[in-house]
Amino acid sequence: MLDLNRAVALVLLAFSSGYLYLAYSYHLLPFERFLSVKPNTMPMGLAIGGIICSLFILIQPQVPDVEGDGTVNRPDGEYLQNPQNFNWGQGIGLLVLAAVYAVSLHALGFLFSTSAFLVLGGILLGERRYTFLIPIAITASVLVWYLVDEVLTIFLRPWPSWIF
Amino acid sequence: MLDGMLLGLETALSLQNILFAALGCFIGTIIGMLPGLGPMSIVAIMIPVSLQIGDPATTLILLAGVYYGAIFGGSTSSILINAPGEAAVVATSFDGYPLAQKGQAGKALTIAAISSFSGGTIGVVLLMFFAPALSSFAILFWSAEYFALMLLGLSAVSAFAGKGKVLKAVMMTLLGLMLATVGESSLFQAPRFTLGIMDLQSGINFVTLAMGLFAVPEAFFLAIDKIRGKKSSSKKSQEISNLRINRKEAKAILPVIGRQSIQGFLIGVMPGTGATIASFLGYAVERNLASPKEREEFGKGSIKGLSAPETANNAASTGSFVPLLTLGIPGSGTTAVLLGAFIALNLQPGPQLLHERPEVFWSVIMSMYFGNIILLVLNLPLVPYIARLLAIPRGYLIPFVLFFAMAGAYIGQNNSTELLLLLGFGVLAIILRFADYPLPPLLIGFVLGQMFEDNLGRAMRNANGIQFIWERPMTLMLIISAAMFILFPLLRDWLTSKHK
Repeated sequence: MLDLNRAVALVLLAFSSGYLYLAYSYHLLPFERFLSVKPNTMPMGLAIGGIICSLFILIQPQVPDVEGDGTVNRPDGEYLQNPQNFNWGQGIGLLVLAAVYAVSLHALGFLFSTSAFLVLGGILLGERRYTFLIPIAITASVLVWYLVDEVLTIFLRPWPSWIF
Repeated sequence: MLDGMLLGLETALSLQNILFAALGCFIGTIIGMLPGLGPMSIVAIMIPVSLQIGDPATTLILLAGVYYGAIFGGSTSSILINAPGEAAVVATSFDGYPLAQKGQAGKALTIAAISSFSGGTIGVVLLMFFAPALSSFAILFWSAEYFALMLLGLSAVSAFAGKGKVLKAVMMTLLGLMLATVGESSLFQAPRFTLGIMDLQSGINFVTLAMGLFAVPEAFFLAIDKIRGKKSSSKKSQEISNLRINRKEAKAILPVIGRQSIQGFLIGVMPGTGATIASFLGYAVERNLASPKEREEFGKGSIKGLSAPETANNAASTGSFVPLLTLGIPGSGTTAVLLGAFIALNLQPGPQLLHERPEVFWSVIMSMYFGNIILLVLNLPLVPYIARLLAIPRGYLIPFVLFFAMAGAYIGQNNSTELLLLLGFGVLAIILRFADYPLPPLLIGFVLGQMFEDNLGRAMRNANGIQFIWERPMTLMLIISAAMFILFPLLRDWLTSKHK
């Protein structure tokens, strides 16, 4: 049966094969052809190692999370395999929010996008005390920006790109 | 030598220098907690400010304080939020974070502080007495030996493999090594495996990968977790901030500190290896030395597993000053930046420094000793307050963890692609955690990958083949040790299953 463990091994096998193709077809510069170590020497070795390893993972028998004599091989195994334990909406929502934050940082600037991310993240996770949440989010954004941009002099665009 | 030590002691103990050492430790600790700003960046940022002081000894004392503080600050974010912003503190999170999850954040931070102090202090004593002798030993190491040392570091992955998972750990290491080949390399002319993406020309950023592999899944699992998510916000702050270590625990970490101080220092002495490999090897060695019962605890909140990398990385950081002070060769990225500070102060580190400016040479060494004491005195009282960060309600804690992880990758690059890459690695790490693939080996492979290929390439070019393996005894010895590191756990697994 193709469980998650073997499905990942299959993806790793495909990745290693693709990497091997890229390494094999790597365009060597004329002088590189005569070197003892070429730019694709180690990558080809790694790819072959990856293919062998993922094939072994695919075919080797699974180690049970808990063995017959009570030995626990994976303490959180039972917990992770029970979807009832999870609130998927909050987790996936947080990742989507993080992706939107990543894209908006340049367009909206650090201060606005960070404050919005922290406020919306808090709301998504059930925080409803807006009188705490909003001032904390804004203060944290301003403090981090001040520390990085003004004290450490590492440029961090505070405002939207279309303003400055 | 005694005259020089007394001269250094006198300089380091002046009120002005003690204050600057304390200021350096404080600044380093606070900024070091931000993922992405490791000791090297913080020291580099502080150089222009510190040069304003004028006095070379005071300037270097301040920078050494910043260096130590930054290392400790990095450990704090590793332990509390599983966000190792620097390669040298990745191993700290393996057991530090599980301890914090168990409600023992105060204890974890105390063990980290004591281990750092001990590693740093023993390192300084070794530096004082053996620096000249060790520097001549360090230059015996050529590319072949460095390659073998990297291989030994990579073999540490066996320490992260539970029963029947050695292959998975090896696969993850290979994946990390593959990711390390993306972009430019010092050995070859053109960037590789960039798939035409301009942002990958300079390779994958360490902070992006580390935050993606550790901090993003942590925030995700805290958010989706109906049971543990509630528990984290309801933990009693008293329990979290308790920093007591009992006699049994102190007895357990004492030999670890002794061993790892010496091992970490010796690894740090060799130019180019530094604190990262010392911490990984320290972790692996202590796991292999532990009793079967203690070994089970590694990765789940073992105090030995926390103490080993913390001691080793601090001892190695001190060790990296040996080639800098005695030969003028920077032993790590941070000491390379410090070399720049020496030059800006019209000082030339190397054999002449001890004779021409003994007050500078000895005051830097003495200030390291006092820097360690100041760091301990400064940080131990703060531990209960720092640890209480974990009692923050999840509605605030989780978005902040994610924000700090993303800020670490964004600061200095101002590049959104980096953040999307970070999230991509985060999703990959979440899937790998569900499928029970160990993630630390992936990061170890990535961190050591470029050095591994560079040294292998140079060694093969010098020898025109692989005969350097058996022609150089030190290389052969290190490679055999690496093979034993991998084979012993396999053999132990096989024997255990046979007895059953």
